[in-house]
Amino acid sequence: MATAMMAAATTSCSPRRALLKPVASSSSAPPPRPRSLLKHLPGLVATAAAAAAASPLPALAAQIEKAKLFDFDLTLPAITIEFLLLMVALDKLYFSPLGNFMDERDAKIRAELGGVKDASEEVRQLEEQAQAILKAARAEIAAALNKMKKETTKELEAKLDEGRQRVEAELVEALSTLEAQKEEAVKALDAQIASLSEEIVKKVLPSA
Amino acid sequence: MNIIPCSIKTLKGLYDISGVEVGQHFYWQIGSFQIHAQVLITSWVVITILLGSVVIAVRNPQTVPMDGQNFFEYVLEFIRDLSKTQIGEEYGPWVPFIGTMFLFIFVSNWSGALLPWKIIELPHGELAAPTNDINTTVALALLTSAAYFYAGLSKKGLSYFEKYIKPTPILLPINILEDFTKPLSLSFRLFGNILADELVVVVLVSLVPLVVPIPVMFLGLFTSGIQALIFATLAAAYIGESMEGHH
Repeated sequence: MATAMMAAATTSCSPRRALLKPVASSSSAPPPRPRSLLKHLPGLVATAAAAAAASPLPALAAQIEKAKLFDFDLTLPAITIEFLLLMVALDKLYFSPLGNFMDERDAKIRAELGGVKDASEEVRQLEEQAQAILKAARAEIAAALNKMKKETTKELEAKLDEGRQRVEAELVEALSTLEAQKEEAVKALDAQIASLSEEIVKKVLPSA
Repeated sequence: MNIIPCSIKTLKGLYDISGVEVGQHFYWQIGSFQIHAQVLITSWVVITILLGSVVIAVRNPQTVPMDGQNFFEYVLEFIRDLSKTQIGEEYGPWVPFIGTMFLFIFVSNWSGALLPWKIIELPHGELAAPTNDINTTVALALLTSAAYFYAGLSKKGLSYFEKYIKPTPILLPINILEDFTKPLSLSFRLFGNILADELVVVVLVSLVPLVVPIPVMFLGLFTSGIQALIFATLAAAYIGESMEGHH
């Protein structure tokens, strides 16, 4: 913006200089008389101002050249060629290789994902198989358990029966011994009763 | 009487401090042609930055991307997305063009704002963003024009020119005018924005050297990015427009 201002200043100054120069040259002509000097006074003031202003201006104008914003030259085709070369280089180094790489990776990941979906079917089958095996094993175990239970009960019952029979046998034996003892006792009692009754008879009937 | 020299001296002092050198070029003579050396130098720096970072980051792509590769994959996704939205399904061949356009303008703009070009003294003129020069922006805009003509002609052959009388033949002049206004608006938008941005920063720095220019600098970074995006988007839109059929 500052340059734009400066450019405006220089451009607006230069025509003024050009405009004032003829006046300056006229003042260097033969010395004017007082009356005409009075008449030329505004012109003289302008000349002095122009002389003061003009001295720094050419130097500055040389330093601050006119801005060439729209300066077309060989830069345009040069940049065009550079851009095209850059495009080819970037395509070879970046867009094509990395793009292909990304596409391939994408395809691979997709394939793997599909494979995983198939595997899930397989996994389901395997799971079913495992379930069946588990079921069979459980049934087998239940059967074995039942069998064992039955056998054990049978054995137990047999033992129980045996025990009961033994107890019964012992009971019968005990009873029979008791009976025998009873009979013996009764026999013994009978004998005692006979002797006693004989003694009683003897005592009651001493004269017999 | 001393007013004019004084004010000019003050202005010159200000001018020296701010050091704005707009529209002044460091010329190289090639044959009978002149070339703006400062633009060429900065564009070489920009190209070096681009190619260097790309080579370092993408030299050996990993399946699981790390920092640099991740960033460049993101950029590529972004460019592809941009091209796809503007051009449509046949965007593939145009990705290098749109991508280079975006990256070159973006890095150029940011280099003008971020790289300390002032350290390097030129005999005349100063180093600035390559997009600070009308030659660069016009070159890019003309390339865009060429690109969309090429896209249309290669897609539809000569029937591409039917678009000039498409809604009605009455619009023929306007349709032809459009081919001139497109590069014109593209180039002047970019040029004006970048130049104005750098000027605002420089002038503010010359007036208030502390704190105050910082928000403007950030605004400048934002504008630079947006301008790169706008240029690339419009280029893609023009290409897409000339490729699509008005059935």
